[in-house]
Amino acid sequence: MPKVKINDTEIEVPAGTNMIEAAKLAGVEIPHYCYHPHLSVAGNCRMCMCESVTPRGSVLEIACNMQAREGLAIRTDTDQVKAVRKSVMEFLLVNHPLDCPICDQSGECRLQDYYMDHGQYDSRGLEPKVSKHKRQDIGDHIVLDAERCVQCSRCERFGDEVTGTGDLRLMNRGDHTEIGMFPGTRLEHDYQGNLADICPVGALTSKDFRFERRVWYLRETAGLCTGCATGCNIQVCHQDGEVFRYLPRRNDDVNKSWICDPGRDLHKRVGSLERILRARVDGSPCTTAQAELATRIRAAGNRVGFVLGTQASLEANWALIQLARGNCPEARFFWVSGNDGDAIEKSDHLLMDIDKNANTAGVQLLAEWVGNVGDTDALREADLALLIVLEDDIVSRLNGGALPELAYFGSRENATSAQASLVIPVTHPAEMDATYVNRQGRVQRNRRATNPLGEAAPAYAALEKLGTALGKAPGTGLPVATFLSLARAVPRLAGLDYKVLGNTGRLLAPPVAEAK
Amino acid sequence: MALPKPNKTLTLTESSYIVEVLKGMALTMSHVIKNLLNQDFRTIEYPDVRKPMTARYRGAHRLLLRPDGGIKCVACMCCPTVCPANCITIVAGENPDDPAEKFPVSFDIDMLRCIYCGFCVEACPKDAIRMDTKIYEINAYNRQDMVHSKAYMVNLMDGLKPEAGTAYHVDKTLAPAGYTAEAPVRP
Ligand code: SF4
Ligand code: SF4
Ligand code: SF4
Ligand code: SF4
Ligand code: FES
Repeated sequence: MPKVKINDTEIEVPAGTNMIEAAKLAGVEIPHYCYHPHLSVAGNCRMCMCESVTPRGSVLEIACNMQAREGLAIRTDTDQVKAVRKSVMEFLLVNHPLDCPICDQSGECRLQDYYMDHGQYDSRGLEPKVSKHKRQDIGDHIVLDAERCVQCSRCERFGDEVTGTGDLRLMNRGDHTEIGMFPGTRLEHDYQGNLADICPVGALTSKDFRFERRVWYLRETAGLCTGCATGCNIQVCHQDGEVFRYLPRRNDDVNKSWICDPGRDLHKRVGSLERILRARVDGSPCTTAQAELATRIRAAGNRVGFVLGTQASLEANWALIQLARGNCPEARFFWVSGNDGDAIEKSDHLLMDIDKNANTAGVQLLAEWVGNVGDTDALREADLALLIVLEDDIVSRLNGGALPELAYFGSRENATSAQASLVIPVTHPAEMDATYVNRQGRVQRNRRATNPLGEAAPAYAALEKLGTALGKAPGTGLPVATFLSLARAVPRLAGLDYKVLGNTGRLLAPPVAEAK
Repeated sequence: MALPKPNKTLTLTESSYIVEVLKGMALTMSHVIKNLLNQDFRTIEYPDVRKPMTARYRGAHRLLLRPDGGIKCVACMCCPTVCPANCITIVAGENPDDPAEKFPVSFDIDMLRCIYCGFCVEACPKDAIRMDTKIYEINAYNRQDMVHSKAYMVNLMDGLKPEAGTAYHVDKTLAPAGYTAEAPVRP
């Protein structure tokens, strides 16, 4: 690996690494607008200018267009570099409106941030500012304010290179350059929210989050989108127990820097009116639902079935398996594939998977480990008195057909919760620590952002409580310990724990047969 | 229970109290005579007479209007951010007809928590909030009335509290249809 030198730090990076990234690894921040790790290099903002030390003396060059090679040395701390940054900032702000008080980007705006570090402070502007089109509705998820744009062309490249829709364009010349859409068109793709994220300023902002909250109030927790089998990494932004938005969290192996709009909208489910907040027995709220369920499980004897949840976490499914093994050794396991009734069945080549369950691969893994897990047909034929269902909306998946009495551990109302005689509320993923396996077989960790609403508890904790009522608790009260016991038992998870999974997850070990 | 001992034994003249009482009365009388001669009363007949407050005195907050009648505040949230007492609650909304785009749907200050530091006034980029009303009688019969609403503060002009029941001159056009100028009832 080539050794490069940034200021006085020498660092080894893979050949071809972008120098902005290399500097980041060396702990030096190079300010930039147009460079984005997952878009092509445009080199038009000039903010990343630095001095590269060559035999001919030092030359000003843009860092985003430099690739690491042996002996490359750059400096970012010289007076010349500082002067350039100051001038670039001055140019960018010449026609910039004083919109910060009403701009949603405020607080996470690169103009604001870099202005504090490299600003001119005293305006030399004499001419009136050029005004452009403000507050344009260009798509279902995006508001465009062309006056705030710094012409970095990130959005243009996103449309060209990621979605392939080529919708946003920089038009006209000089200080009249303006970002906009072709007349009569709107953004049509399912990745619009990312435009608001990549726009380094407040030109493209999210409609959903518009004026909702100032970003400096929000806390961020590393979570997972549970909208489909892709398992995009997200940042859950919340304040005082309320979730305001999901942002993509960079994971180069899963979702790069993007998430889809249907996934982004899922934050509304956390506090939605459809949440199940209280336990119900036969339709009416009940404080002793767990004990009641235990009684009914005992009464059903070995005619009890357990349905693994493709939307539930690994921990929850493990808790269900342990609970069944400990208390009803005769019980059978099932797995109902398909999507819930309220799923938005969209898919594409980019991120959205047609399988709208976050943990299908995880259930598959556990089903292989348990062995003899019945599928949809087996469930229809089985002679059962009671079926314990974990999160999946099996009633809409089975689409009719007689079912035995249902006990449902779920977070939101659906056909199954309506039909179930016992309903136990469980948490939304934003309210619990848990792990999921995505379609690549990557085990990923989701962190708890907010406190559970109502009586909801994480499914593994709810099952622990049920196990206690039945006489043999599965020992799954805490997520860390649950995952550890799971990783010890299931060979393909061997060696994993929450710490190892970290922020980017780990691929499952190959199945034993393949490994040989 | 043992009584604490006086740290000093009184002299005979002191323990007779007569001299001390006369001293006190002399002081009172000297003030009476001074006031009669100078008419410079130190005591004012509040509430009919009020002391003029200094120009920088920080009284109850008011919210300012623009010349066109719209509210100046754009709900930028600088004041709730800076407020050390955490007493400002603003709900922001979008006004489709106003070039300012953003406006406060509700703007409440809990005067029971306010410490009159004036940071909110300093933080405001729009000169939308001032504490120049000089109103210091901030009182109510219950806690809820101590929360000053947007409508109340817009009307706190000229150092006068709006009379109970007077029509607020809040321009209802500041808010798009569907929004009421009154603060929503908090849970
Ligand atoms: S883009 Fe940034 S600098 Fe411009 S108005 Fe918005 S927050 Fe302020
Ligand atoms: S709208 Fe934003 S992303 Fe697009 S060119 Fe302007 S500043 Fe860049
Ligand atoms: S005067 Fe101080 S305490 Fe009172 S509302 Fe303003 S910032 Fe808050
Ligand atoms: S600082 Fe001024 S403009 Fe901003 S919310 Fe407070 S009163 Fe309104
Ligand atoms: S980031 Fe290098 S020129 Fe914009």
